[in-house]
Amino acid sequence: MRRTSLVARRVLAQLAHDRRLLGLSIIAPLVIVYFLKLFFDTMPPGFDVARYAVPIAAFLVHFLAFLLSAIVLVQERTAGTMERMFINGYQRHEIIGGYLLGYLGLATLQAVAALSEALLLFGLSYSAGTLLVLFVVIWLLAIASVMLGIFISTFARHEGQVFPFVPMIIVPSAFLSGLLVDPDRLPAWADWLGRAFPLRYANKVIQEMILPGGSLGDVWLNFLVLVLYIFALLGLAARAMREVE
Amino acid sequence: MTAIEVQGLTKLYGRTEALRGIDLAVPEGCLFGLLGPNGAGKTTLIKALVGALRPSGGSVRVLGLDPLRQRRQLRQQIGYMPQSPALYEDLSARGNIAFFGGAHMSHGLDKRVEEVLELTDLTGRADDPVHTLSGGMKNRVSLAAALVHSPRVLFLDEPTAGVDPHLRARFWELFRRLTSEGTTVLISTHLMDEAMLCDRLAILLQGKVIADAPPRQLVEHGRAHLRVREQGRTHEVLIGGTPEDLAEALRPYGLRPSVEAVSVSPASLEEVILSLWQEVAQ
Repeated sequence: MRRTSLVARRVLAQLAHDRRLLGLSIIAPLVIVYFLKLFFDTMPPGFDVARYAVPIAAFLVHFLAFLLSAIVLVQERTAGTMERMFINGYQRHEIIGGYLLGYLGLATLQAVAALSEALLLFGLSYSAGTLLVLFVVIWLLAIASVMLGIFISTFARHEGQVFPFVPMIIVPSAFLSGLLVDPDRLPAWADWLGRAFPLRYANKVIQEMILPGGSLGDVWLNFLVLVLYIFALLGLAARAMREVE
Repeated sequence: MTAIEVQGLTKLYGRTEALRGIDLAVPEGCLFGLLGPNGAGKTTLIKALVGALRPSGGSVRVLGLDPLRQRRQLRQQIGYMPQSPALYEDLSARGNIAFFGGAHMSHGLDKRVEEVLELTDLTGRADDPVHTLSGGMKNRVSLAAALVHSPRVLFLDEPTAGVDPHLRARFWELFRRLTSEGTTVLISTHLMDEAMLCDRLAILLQGKVIADAPPRQLVEHGRAHLRVREQGRTHEVLIGGTPEDLAEALRPYGLRPSVEAVSVSPASLEEVILSLWQEVAQ
């Protein structure tokens, strides 16, 4: 645990020093949510803004957390610091755990910022309980995204090789996870494929909670799957991370 | 006691043989050099010794431990300085050293970090981010990070590449000091003059050890050209590489029989440059 916290403190210290990265990862979702507002303002009256606003804010957090963690982990490998960590005695679960703890802080900031702006710009108002669930589900999605980024980073030899995974994983998840259309209207195989993405489960919870009278009791299974997804990715990332060439 | 023992070590990358049956034995407290051109297999060998690479065949023991199966125990006792500095550029020198040292120890870490900062002459820049340091300073931080937990065996992969002669001389003073305190130092280099400073030297070529002996002994195996000019005429003979051979070859030119050995050690370019710097500094 001591070494996990050392990795986490090092990740946080690096984030604190890299103001540009820190600023971008908070400001980028805010700017995109603002562009979304401009786009939705052009829609005809009666367009259901609430159906999209919070889910898209969640998607932005998912995308950025995935991309950042994948790139930073690949940088660790190309710079030789990953190998050096292993040779100094840091173990795989300590490195992954440290990254997770370090990025949780950033993911929390991103979740709070994106959710607050979406609520403010689109004039949405929910009960405190609903807001808490929305925050927790976006936060869990961010953790799943960090784990997914760590797992995917093991397949990339350099930063550039992370980007092909964006159209392979992130973009399909936007179409198949119920973010844009209800998955029930998709072909059965596409519906099943969509279940492979963590965004699907987060989106299901969000869609339920933003409905008037929405209840967590109806979607608790999705919540659970999201948590299980995180543990599954944790295991996969730990297995895929190579300590020995 | 033998600190490092390697027998029949091979490593294949596809069909390319990076290591082709390496045999080595490094005694404890030895300053052992691996000399070879780029691509000879020096880095591959070091990575196999520190347990960062799975060999295709053969056996490796470092301090009697298998670097793969017993890596947790071994890694507490070894230090590794890779060829590139492998540091966190946004963190300070102190932050980097404390992070890598923190994997090994918690008690007394701060004191030890201060000691290695002083040892590598980094105290004045200890809190500056690594990206603001020169290449030589980054090498010093990297060395300090490898030394912080006082390892019994230190693996240094071309630690003086891109380092100026003054700093290089200081690095070698430090390596010598460490071995005198009992640390085993294995160092790879492609510089001949550095290789001469080692206690023992293995020469690697295309993944094989082609010679393994103290450097002086390797030199003595060589032949030397002796040219003597006498009354405008030059005589040239091929002689053995030892001081005794030279004395023998000079007897026909009137060297007294009581002289047993003769040797000449011209200053290297590095020594000339260092002495010039010292003169200017004074």
